[in-house]
Amino acid sequence: MQRENSPEMEIMDNITWEIRDNIGILTLNNPPENYLDRPDFLPINTLKQWTSEEGLKGVLFCAGGKHFSAGGKLENLFKMISANEDVSARMEAGKSLLDHLENLNIPIVVAIQGICFGGGLEIALACHIRICSENALFAFPEINSGILPGLGGTLRVHELTGFPASMKMILGGDMINAGEALELKLVDYITTKSGLFDHAFSLLKKMTYDRPLDVIHGVMQALQNSRKLSRQEAMLQETRIFCELALAEAKKRDASGDATGRMF
Amino acid sequence: MKATFGNAIQYQTHEGTGHLILGQPPSNTMTPGFFEEFDQAIDRILNDRHIRALVISGNGRHFSSGADLTALFPEIQGHSTVDNRGNLLRVPGFMLKNHRSFLKLESMTIPVISAIRGVCLGSALELALSCHFRFSGEDAVFGLPEATFNLIPGLGGVRNLSAITGKAKALELILTGKTIPASEALTLGIVDRIFPKREVVKISLGFALNIMQGFHKEKNKMYLKKYFPV
Repeated sequence: MQRENSPEMEIMDNITWEIRDNIGILTLNNPPENYLDRPDFLPINTLKQWTSEEGLKGVLFCAGGKHFSAGGKLENLFKMISANEDVSARMEAGKSLLDHLENLNIPIVVAIQGICFGGGLEIALACHIRICSENALFAFPEINSGILPGLGGTLRVHELTGFPASMKMILGGDMINAGEALELKLVDYITTKSGLFDHAFSLLKKMTYDRPLDVIHGVMQALQNSRKLSRQEAMLQETRIFCELALAEAKKRDASGDATGRMF
Repeated sequence: MKATFGNAIQYQTHEGTGHLILGQPPSNTMTPGFFEEFDQAIDRILNDRHIRALVISGNGRHFSSGADLTALFPEIQGHSTVDNRGNLLRVPGFMLKNHRSFLKLESMTIPVISAIRGVCLGSALELALSCHFRFSGEDAVFGLPEATFNLIPGLGGVRNLSAITGKAKALELILTGKTIPASEALTLGIVDRIFPKREVVKISLGFALNIMQGFHKEKNKMYLKKYFPV
């Protein structure tokens, strides 16, 4: 990926953050495999601080180098366990990182190239839209070490692909290429390796450029509701958000005297 | 049998199939009057024991271009309860009523089929998404352009679209507000079948007749409860 570094780039735990055109860019920067050293790969407060930047309209999650991420380093995990470290607390912290990404009130797109395994795949699954290059490979290899994805990946993969395919991945440890991933709805788009970053970035721009933050937040809220609330409650909230936005828009039109009879 | 409820909707029955026609050509705009008549029509169909399937289509070349914004904005302003800072306290009653009409439609215990030609945008797509089947002409275009007017779909469109396409595609379609052709809608699962545009209404009525004859109303009810739980 061709990227020039901007001077305002921040770095924490091999992860960089910068903002370009109101889009935040989170980059895993631990090449070549972009291993995650710990389940809690970033302090939650850092992530919260980065993503709450004023005026931020979207987030792009990507990785430098040939691969997205080979996931957690299992030796590290087993070392932590033998050193009597509180691994479950670290897993909880990792989960809350992914929950934070998933619950963002602005869209988050992930750009995936090369290997996307284990914890790397769990990160990708927490994002709202997944774009991968033709050479991307996906797997949950945890089963080969006698464990399973522990950051919510089992639930999220099941939501996207249904029961049979997720069983094959989690229990079988099957490796899946980009074409199969698209068919299984594990990813939403496939693009060329060189065009990956631009495709993801321009999709985010297309979705957010002309949209006021209120509208972006409204759409995100309505979408998140459909996962969290009952069907009827989610639809009722949708009507409510619509009315709030319509009220604001009507006031704005009154003020500017714009009475164009557009319809939708 | 033919019936009208005003001038925004025509209703006909053929041998136990109800046929609702959105009737203000060319664009069949969904005005406040339309929603009023639509609710009456749904109630009438719900109370008619002889109707065993329902087809909804647009009059003329289009299904509908959706809600009439020019009329909607003053209605919302006029009927909202707001606090002293202008924040919405209570959703206007007519919006809740519109929302309930769509819920009534999708909870019907007879199969409901939308036969779509031409444009099907905004609230019109939300209406179609509340039906059990969506049959489309090859010329149809679909979209939820609300965000381009600084709004969101407000009658179940976000919830229903994301249930069909998944969160990712729904997010993209709603935020960009772009329109897609029938072929893409088929790929995404938004429509179930594509037919030649001149035949889509005829085929939908035939399909309704066909499944209707195969079921008793009671069995039909069980089938729909099982496969289209609300």
